[in-house]
Amino acid sequence: MKKKIAISCIALMCASMVLSACASGGNSSESKNGKVKVRFASWDVAEDIDKQQILVDKFNESHDDIEVVLEAYGRDFDTKISAGMGSKDAPDLMYMWNYPAYYEGLEPLDSYIEKEGEDFKKNYYSALWDYNSIEGNIYGMPVGFTTHALFYNKDLFEEAGVDLPGENFTWDDLRATAKTISEKTNAKGFAFQMKPDPYDFEMYLWSNGTAYCDGKGDMKGKIDSEGSQEVFKMFQDMAKEEIAAVTEGNGTDEFRAGQVAMYIYGSWSINSLNEDNMNYGITKLPNFGSKPSVSILSSSGIAMSKDSKNKDAAWEFMKYWTGEEANKARIGLELPVLETVIESEKIMDDSTYAPFYEMLKQSAGYTPASFIQKNWSEVSENLSLSFEEMFNPSTYRDVKETLEQAAQQ
Amino acid sequence: MQKSIKKITPYLFILPWIIGFLVFTLGPLIFSLIMSFYNWSLTGKPQFVGFGNYIEMFTRDKQFSKSLIISLKYAAVFVPLNMAIALFLAMLIAQPVKHTKIFRTIFYIPSVISGVAVSIIWSWILNSDYGILNYLLSLLGIKGPKWLVDPGYAILAVIIASAFGVGSMMLIFYTDIKGIPSTLYEAASLDGASSFRQFFSITLPLITPTLLFNLITSIISSFQQVTLVMLLTGGGPLKSTYFYGLYTYNNAFKHHKLGYASANAWVMFVIILILTMLVFKTSSSWVFYQSENAKNKKRRKP
Amino acid sequence: MHLSKKTKFIIYFILILFTIYFTAPFIYMVFSAFKTEAEAIAYPPKFLPSKWHFENFINAWNSQPFGTYLFNSVLVTVLTTLGQVISCSLVAYGFARFEFKGRDILFMILMATMMIPWDVTMIPQYMEINMFGWINTLKPLIVPAWFGSAYYIFLMRQFLLSVPKDFEEAARIDGANAFQIYLKVFMPILKPSLILVAVLNMITVWNDYLGPLIFLQERNKYTLALGLAAFKGVHSTKIIPMLCITIIMIIPPVLTFIFSGKHIVESTGGGVK
Repeated sequence: MKKKIAISCIALMCASMVLSACASGGNSSESKNGKVKVRFASWDVAEDIDKQQILVDKFNESHDDIEVVLEAYGRDFDTKISAGMGSKDAPDLMYMWNYPAYYEGLEPLDSYIEKEGEDFKKNYYSALWDYNSIEGNIYGMPVGFTTHALFYNKDLFEEAGVDLPGENFTWDDLRATAKTISEKTNAKGFAFQMKPDPYDFEMYLWSNGTAYCDGKGDMKGKIDSEGSQEVFKMFQDMAKEEIAAVTEGNGTDEFRAGQVAMYIYGSWSINSLNEDNMNYGITKLPNFGSKPSVSILSSSGIAMSKDSKNKDAAWEFMKYWTGEEANKARIGLELPVLETVIESEKIMDDSTYAPFYEMLKQSAGYTPASFIQKNWSEVSENLSLSFEEMFNPSTYRDVKETLEQAAQQ
Repeated sequence: MQKSIKKITPYLFILPWIIGFLVFTLGPLIFSLIMSFYNWSLTGKPQFVGFGNYIEMFTRDKQFSKSLIISLKYAAVFVPLNMAIALFLAMLIAQPVKHTKIFRTIFYIPSVISGVAVSIIWSWILNSDYGILNYLLSLLGIKGPKWLVDPGYAILAVIIASAFGVGSMMLIFYTDIKGIPSTLYEAASLDGASSFRQFFSITLPLITPTLLFNLITSIISSFQQVTLVMLLTGGGPLKSTYFYGLYTYNNAFKHHKLGYASANAWVMFVIILILTMLVFKTSSSWVFYQSENAKNKKRRKP
Repeated sequence: MHLSKKTKFIIYFILILFTIYFTAPFIYMVFSAFKTEAEAIAYPPKFLPSKWHFENFINAWNSQPFGTYLFNSVLVTVLTTLGQVISCSLVAYGFARFEFKGRDILFMILMATMMIPWDVTMIPQYMEINMFGWINTLKPLIVPAWFGSAYYIFLMRQFLLSVPKDFEEAARIDGANAFQIYLKVFMPILKPSLILVAVLNMITVWNDYLGPLIFLQERNKYTLALGLAAFKGVHSTKIIPMLCITIIMIIPPVLTFIFSGKHIVESTGGGVK
């Protein structure tokens, strides 16, 4: 009997000894060498992280008192941040775009920015600040952004013998072009998502002079307005006429495979299109005829946790990360946000990047519904279902009816 | 002295689990139960709402019952199907034919592949316009269904993709079947019993304990199914695969309603618990434990 | 057991049918890993790569510190497997071979712990681990395994209940105590199910990324599964490296399986039942 207890004890002791040996280091806010430790969580993947790590290392080398540790979580970024915030142990710094969902866990930055003087703020594109603020308080420093633009496959245009999109390309032009391409080639002329993110889709409503809701968040008379119905009807018709493919994913795969001639997306796919050596072009979004098209802005910022214990060190790194040097180093990874960098690097001369800046300029002054609606994530889920009902080929639900129902929610 | 040691002996054996339960499991469980009575938006202060979350769920939230029905349907199809396939494969690879080692490995490999990669591969295969399956069907002149677009087929697509990982369960059955002494079969063969007959009169009764195990654990896992649907269908098309597990997950991490998600989880807990109790109750009539032989039949274990 | 020619044919036929279902997606995945990304998503789909890009694997391996990840994964997997086998067999033995007060209630509690999904216990778990000071270490991934997991305890218990009662009675008459009976009588005949628990735990831990995601922070602590998940971003997925790492990650569990599978077969036939 004694033997048994003895053996179990030994087994458990061995276990715990091995365990404590194999895992060292803790979670203190000071690292071993006396430096202040700042955690920085990124959502980027694989090689992009390596590029960021080089930048972080550079910062650490030039600072004796601060050590920034880069953490990479990819697609699971939100789960990790949620767990951290819920347990009051979020990373000191983190990438951020969904401010409405997280701002209560973030540190307002206005006072930090003021200390840096008048000109500090001016160098950033002004439209970006709105996307990094909630109720007038700034919660994040702009790091990168993308607008949406029209991607087109030049080879397919040539095969069908149609003109490339010009300066004033309208949706009617797009439909006509798509029709010809669908008839003359094996590809579909255009592609859009079966289940678009409602956040992105609002830009088409803006372009046609309406929105999801008014300034108070009331959706009635807005999402079911005539202008809105026109937009959804147009997309649905393109799918019904089979001049547009309705894609299960975001459409990039179909575009790369040469199965569709045009699609609308952010700058995220540029790198993979270049890797493929694809013969493609990018231009501004098509307009509805009367006024310039408007794009949604997907901004990425860097934000500070309000529970951070080393706020000054964190701010030091934020300035570095959003400064000119880092902006330049991230070209290819992000579209730079500093006007001086755009100028010095001659970004506007690059026909790949220029359309995204042109879209940025003509898209100022719009507030996405996600910043207006208090419970946007639920509203968005309902809208997403409504959109899918209209665009899914197995339903193609009536636009008017669907939107009127959506307005009730 | 001797007697008291005898008395505590069983507790000493289960002591590791009791410690682990008290240290690692109990706290979080109680925490989530308490949270189910609060409104907790992740960043704000939790507010006590009594049974508010539960009332909301049963009276106003339509998605709750929809998701519950989807998960029940899925479990009703998937659990028996998966078990049948697993048992069938286990029987096949236990047969005294050549090359079973190769087949054993082949059937096992898919269950080792990480869930993220499995979902990507299946979404390529099942893509209705550009997928390889419908492409191959079109070569045969068949127009394949719109797997991940048509709500009628999507749940089937999820079942096809999830049955891919049947290997673990197969292995459990296989280990059990291999433990049956061959003398039993030899005796039956001498008596002229067919292989079919041998399966029902020897194999099946002897593996009922693992059958029970697989039944209960696959009921649990089918209710908790999240990763595959999240990555393969995202709950669509038209929310037709918006499983209860995904519903809970989204409430917690998309809508940041952690209190509400806790309430979702505890309702799921009660449902699974009732199902498990039912299975255990009936199990005394079909599960056959050899440790309870003739002398010891008075009281059956669950 | 002898099978007729007809039955053998049917068995082979069905085996081949299932083989197609289980292997076709896998082979498709392996071939895709050798393609360029453009070729992998091309339509009409190509089955074989036009050029075999073996360098895909090297590039994928070098794109993140996978050597470190591999070390961490092996460490976690080996230590948890050891812990699970020891603790689960002890606990399961306690539940299966003794009558004691509160057994059925304790067992129901054990079962109940499997029924609460991780999403809602994750945050309190994080807080608790943080209290222990174990965040950003491998401890929270390893230590709990030494206290048994409900799933394997339940599984082992089912196997133990299948062993006839008279088995330990002979040993008891010889004067062996409960622990000796467990160690000398039961462990040898339960070797196949111990291996089973080890194999199952290995697959689970090897591929688990939620635990590492929540409890680890610095990249030098990451496991392979977490590194693999990091190829999937919000807007784009690095498909080819992801497939390459997936394939590399399959190798160790499969090798272990082939090796241990032999033991499952060899050590049986002793007549447990």
